[in-house]
Amino acid sequence: MMVQVRNLDKISILDCSGDVDLYSSPRLREALLAEIKADGPGVLVNMSGVAYIDSSGIATLVEGLQLSRQTKTHFGLYGLRPNARSVLELARLHKVFTIFENEAEALEKIGSIQPFGGVK
Amino acid sequence: MMRIVLGSEPRLLNILRAVVKFHAQEAGISKTDAEHVALAVDEAAANVIRHTYCGRHDRLIALEVRRLPDRLEFLLEDWGPKVREELIRPRPLEELRPGGLGTFFIYSLMDECSYDPDFEEGNRLKLVKFLSRKGACANDGSSAKSG
Repeated sequence: MMVQVRNLDKISILDCSGDVDLYSSPRLREALLAEIKADGPGVLVNMSGVAYIDSSGIATLVEGLQLSRQTKTHFGLYGLRPNARSVLELARLHKVFTIFENEAEALEKIGSIQPFGGVK
Repeated sequence: MMRIVLGSEPRLLNILRAVVKFHAQEAGISKTDAEHVALAVDEAAANVIRHTYCGRHDRLIALEVRRLPDRLEFLLEDWGPKVREELIRPRPLEELRPGGLGTFFIYSLMDECSYDPDFEEGNRLKLVKFLSRKGACANDGSSAKSG
């Protein structure tokens, strides 16, 4: 798995690709928590390149969500493939995270994310 | 029947997933369900690495795949301390916290999950997927690894 970080309109975007599993999720965790702690207004995770995610990857996203609530950082996901979406749905987390279809929608609406998930 | 033995290294789990997905699809399971079966076996193997082997990467994990007329069986073996089944429970999904989802995925995605009581050294976890029906783990939820 690869994680690349870029900034767009002061929003941090983590472009993830490959499998997020027990082996690779620590890399995502390190990058994600660093961006949330960086005191920016928002962090988005681009999941469009993620072909597989397991419970350790989901746990990393949950940890990011919890930290974002503490730091009052807007946090969302976008570009989920069917496989990753189905894993989130299985864990009943698809309504806990704020999920956008694509980057344009995510950047347009991220400022509207409520502190506990969902969009205004 | 096929059997592979891998080191207990997280970076090798993708091999395990590929083997499981291949056999599931060969048996006629849909792509989505095959991915879910691969997730369940992956979670069980990850639990072996994290919990049974306490993160050690120098141990072994074996996977045996058996195709029967009505089911696929995945036997996951380790050579660690005996798992105490009575301590294994999936966590309630209402709790929003990192971790603990692995066992839930195993229960949810496989039809049967049980430890072989006659496996003398280490643990042998049997995960079953029936080919003709879908459903949750058919046992009472008393077995499968924590995670």
